[in-house]
Amino acid sequence: MFENLAFSSVTEFLQMGKYTFHVWSVYGLFAVFVTVNLYLPRAAHRQFIREQKRRALRDAQTAQPIEADEGRPDANGGE
Amino acid sequence: MWQWFFRLGSPKWFYELSGRWLPWLVVAMTVLLTIGIVWALLFVPADYQQGDTIRIMYVHVPVASISLACFPLMAVAGVITLVWKMKLADMVAKCAAPIGAWFTAVALATGAIWGQPIWGTWWAWDARLTSMLIQFFLLIGVIALRSAIESPDAAARACALLSVVGAINVPIIKYSVEWWNTLHQPASSFSMAEDSPFGPEIWVPLVIMIFAVYLFFVISLILSTRTEILVRERRSQWVVDLVAADKTQGA
Amino acid sequence: MKPHRRKKLTIIAFIATGLSVAIGLSLYALSNSIDLFFTPTQVAAGEVMNGQRIRVGGMVKEGSVVRSQDSLHVEFMATDYSHDLLIRYDGILPDLFREGQGVVAEGMMANGSFEASRVLAKHDENYMSVEVKAALDAAERDRALPAAETEGAADGS
Repeated sequence: MFENLAFSSVTEFLQMGKYTFHVWSVYGLFAVFVTVNLYLPRAAHRQFIREQKRRALRDAQTAQPIEADEGRPDANGGE
Repeated sequence: MWQWFFRLGSPKWFYELSGRWLPWLVVAMTVLLTIGIVWALLFVPADYQQGDTIRIMYVHVPVASISLACFPLMAVAGVITLVWKMKLADMVAKCAAPIGAWFTAVALATGAIWGQPIWGTWWAWDARLTSMLIQFFLLIGVIALRSAIESPDAAARACALLSVVGAINVPIIKYSVEWWNTLHQPASSFSMAEDSPFGPEIWVPLVIMIFAVYLFFVISLILSTRTEILVRERRSQWVVDLVAADKTQGA
Repeated sequence: MKPHRRKKLTIIAFIATGLSVAIGLSLYALSNSIDLFFTPTQVAAGEVMNGQRIRVGGMVKEGSVVRSQDSLHVEFMATDYSHDLLIRYDGILPDLFREGQGVVAEGMMANGSFEASRVLAKHDENYMSVEVKAALDAAERDRALPAAETEGAADGS
């Protein structure tokens, strides 16, 4: 398998012929693109659940103060 | 016969099903992406003419070809929204637009970086590059249209119509290199023979990357659609229960 | 399908087809200006005026490239295999500029030859490693040359 390597040394690999900037900037851009597009929707998902929990807690406290201990104190510890 | 169709349209059903599928899709994407990138960067032989810039192809071609899937997807979702008023279709269409804009922008950027040393220019107003730029602005237009119209139903209908219209651009992008003379080269034809232009040592890793990037598109679309489902259905009982049952986020 | 849905679907189909036809026709009408470049045949047919800024595209004819010894000046023939056009250029050529490769030159016609202010290389859709290219070239040579000369080549390897 390793005899098929396109490069004979690490320096040569990092250099990419005379196209160091072109090849690595494309792969760098791709890495940012993938990371951002997987991270952003996950962050939005977490944000939504956090907000809804806060809202549910507030509603429970204003509407029925007796049942307010539904939102357990340990769930409150995050902030 | 239409039962499965309407069941598919239930946001709750989609949320649960996609939740079960997601881990497998992520595993498959990670494996394919790792194999594809390692193969492209380390094992693909340098091209006899363009040297190591051939490695740019393994990012540019998958991203560009999958960016063409976005408008047809949005158009189909749009027709379903207009005719059957299925809520899920509009959610998918809404989430697909920004992802498609990202894909188109990355395709244009990687193409420019590739073109600079090979063609001698970052940009040319040829039919392929221009129609791709039009796709980018159409997607920005769809996103802007949705945020400009206040009523969600009216916004959904307007975006659906624009998506159907915008999908006409896709065959233009695809065949631009054949219909007109362009700086961009036509699509390569795969060859099974070992000793031939575009033989397996070149295209096998490309096919792997295309599958990997397709999975990435699907995963990213599913992730944002799931959030969109929760936001729009936040008053329904199943979302309230789901939020209450979630132990990972402190309030 | 319910009648009102069928009606909506028909309306959408009509809009989409109508627009496609309209866009298709206008693209067909604009075809000449959408093309990135003129071919040497079009130039020979007199479609281009002297002094008009245009782009010309074709293949760099094998053996036609003449580089100046003391400057960046270069002259070559662009061909579409039915007509040739002499192109003069002062400047740096892109990495992929080769004989037998596609080229797009920007500039204007002057006295029957083309003064280019910019030269771009066109890449073809073939990708192969140096080894595969060498093997293909060797196979080509074997077919083209008489037997005596191929024996000589075999000795060398």
